[in-house]
Amino acid sequence: MRYQVVIAGFGGQGAVFLVKVLALCAGNKNIECLGTENHGMSQRGGAVSCFIKLGDFSNPVIDTYQADLLIGLEADEALRNMQYLKSGGIMAVNAEDDFPAADVYTDVARVDAFAKAKAGDFPIQGLNVYMLGVAARNDKNFPFTLEDLKEAITQMNAKVAAQNIEILEKGYANVME
Amino acid sequence: MKKTLMGNEAIALGLVHADVDMVSGYPGTPSSEILTTVQKLQKQQDLELYAQWATNEKVGFEVAYAGAIAGKRTAATMKQVGLNVASDALMSASYIGNLGGMLLVSADDPGFHSSQTEQDSRVFAKFAKIPVLDPATPQDAYDLTRYGVDLSQEFEIPVMLRPVMRVCHARQIVEVKSEHDFSPQKGEFQRDIPRWAGVPRAGRFKQGEQLLERVEKLERYNWEHLLKPEFDKCKGGRVLILAGGTGYGFAKEALEDMGIEADVVKVLMPYPLPVEKIKEQFADYEKVLVVEEPMPCIEEQVMDPKVHGRLDKTMHQIDEMSKVYIQEAMRKLGLYEGKDLYPANPFKEQIPARPPNLCPGCPHRDVYYSIMKVFKKKKSIYPSDIGCYTLGINQGAIDTVLCMGGSVSMASGFALADPDKYVVATIGDSTFFHGGIPPLINAVYQKHKFLLVVLDNSVVAMTGRQEPPQRQNKEVDIVKVAEGCGASTFEYVYDNDMNKTVDFFKRMKEEYDKADGPVVAVVREFCVLDKEKASEQLPGEFVTVNEDDCVACDQCTTVFNCPPMSYNEKDKIEIDPFLCVGCGACLNVVCPTDAFVLDEKRGK
Repeated sequence: MRYQVVIAGFGGQGAVFLVKVLALCAGNKNIECLGTENHGMSQRGGAVSCFIKLGDFSNPVIDTYQADLLIGLEADEALRNMQYLKSGGIMAVNAEDDFPAADVYTDVARVDAFAKAKAGDFPIQGLNVYMLGVAARNDKNFPFTLEDLKEAITQMNAKVAAQNIEILEKGYANVME
Repeated sequence: MKKTLMGNEAIALGLVHADVDMVSGYPGTPSSEILTTVQKLQKQQDLELYAQWATNEKVGFEVAYAGAIAGKRTAATMKQVGLNVASDALMSASYIGNLGGMLLVSADDPGFHSSQTEQDSRVFAKFAKIPVLDPATPQDAYDLTRYGVDLSQEFEIPVMLRPVMRVCHARQIVEVKSEHDFSPQKGEFQRDIPRWAGVPRAGRFKQGEQLLERVEKLERYNWEHLLKPEFDKCKGGRVLILAGGTGYGFAKEALEDMGIEADVVKVLMPYPLPVEKIKEQFADYEKVLVVEEPMPCIEEQVMDPKVHGRLDKTMHQIDEMSKVYIQEAMRKLGLYEGKDLYPANPFKEQIPARPPNLCPGCPHRDVYYSIMKVFKKKKSIYPSDIGCYTLGINQGAIDTVLCMGGSVSMASGFALADPDKYVVATIGDSTFFHGGIPPLINAVYQKHKFLLVVLDNSVVAMTGRQEPPQRQNKEVDIVKVAEGCGASTFEYVYDNDMNKTVDFFKRMKEEYDKADGPVVAVVREFCVLDKEKASEQLPGEFVTVNEDDCVACDQCTTVFNCPPMSYNEKDKIEIDPFLCVGCGACLNVVCPTDAFVLDEKRGK
């Protein structure tokens, strides 16, 4: 199995947390995993992008036109990293309804997660896990089940797992056309 | 056992598993997590070891090196530009050698992700004639860390481990020793004056000859143990790929993507190379491509008409490795004629940049704002230094950035060259200790007139909030240090009432006008990311905008530049309540029409 994911957002959105969850899922399934993070200036509000490659790979960087999935925690950062997606990949993005999905050359699963957080559906700190749920549900090639993700989230930190799992399930409930 | 580790964590674990019990270094992205992870392991496993931040890389290197002379297994950690600072010690250490083992970890940053240069530490190892190991992955980093410490002890010479950012900040499921009985070597200095204090000419000449012998032995070792087993697996063909570090992973994947079968030799120790032995292997190939980053270290050693790489521009010249560069190199060599496998299809429109900025509530912002208000743009020169506070560039408050401590000596230079202007230099506390003290003494005794503002938040904020000297031991005090250097020194404790900060700098301007040498202003701040201090320091004065008073003058979005402030659809400033941390700094001075008011709903 080979599957490549780009996670894009800005500092403080918890992109690296998702990398750790996916790495744990891979470990649990005995799948190799290699990834890398661009987090130089992220704590100062700069852009963050993370690569994670599952399966038999020998370098951690994802080249343009290679990724199966892009999880965009914010609309501009999703578009900035769009070129990593391969034809036939999918973009799961947190964006408002004016998002230019027609100009993205792959399928787009769009949810306005900021609006849902503001409306009280889930705490804003859980946006990363929410979008992971959206991605897992809407990418038919996603290599892990909802249960796999829950298991990894529990391994990360059992104390706060319950809340994260609730948010994950809310994200997972978004089924796109 | 298997563990998911970041490269830097793998190196730290490798050090502990190599029985290294002295680790000294200076923070710098992408190397910083190595030492902090050793400190974590020390706590978790209750290990008796020394793992401390030094005042700079040279100090860090020398502490670790002396430990290795005394028979211990030690390590020094730094980033590549830090190696420049430590290089004086390194160049001599290679002649003198060690009895224990010393691993010098110098992390490179191809692609300038968070560094001012793209230099290659392997080239430095070659310059110093010490062996260097080049890991491709976190697994390699763990393995080569242990290997390198052993090698250093066996050959009695410091060994460099050179991970790049894509190793330091890569994550992988790594196979590590499950149990390790930590058993460090006892330190016992053995007097050997001709060796440890070899002096020119005769003493060092002899050591120079010994160094040449050692390098030859290492070349043979490199062949027998590392390279020959790799070449034995080779089949010959049109092209041989010689790959260093991450280049190996990129080359393997790129060849597979292109559907090309070719021998790829992983060069684990890029210096010293058994050049003749390697060149003998070239007979089995039409061409040789060297894939390495960021400089041609292997390629320069094995130069041959068959060899291609960076020197003849077959490979890229700048920026980090990418498979597309290998594809293009193969195309140039006539070995690939297929389609572009890595086309870039960016979004059709320009996406606004998201430049990093000082955090909301950061006291640096107020200090820069006040400096600019008092000293003005046109009449002054603003040298600054390396750290978070370099982001003051967003406020137009910085004119030059060179290297650690450079702000102070450059202030001297500007004061001499352009005496009609005010020179106001800014430097952080850790940078001041690192490289700011010698130039301050220089300025005092030569009477160079400038204002040096030390932004003391008592944390190395940019690299992950490591502890600077005064945080661990209050006897070290910047005011006393500056006074001890003979500088006219003033202290200001940050207050979120900007009137007070502006008044302080007005006073500093008066002192400047009277002075005949450098004036030092030590501003006691805090870091908003420093959980220990920030919660008690932030006053909880959340702000909102009185829209009727906002005249859209841009003052707050340009000169103050706090992330929560932006224009709304009515062209009035709005404060993002999620981003505002309630520092209250903008309530005074910032807005010429006083449109910022306390948000009564959020209260104080």
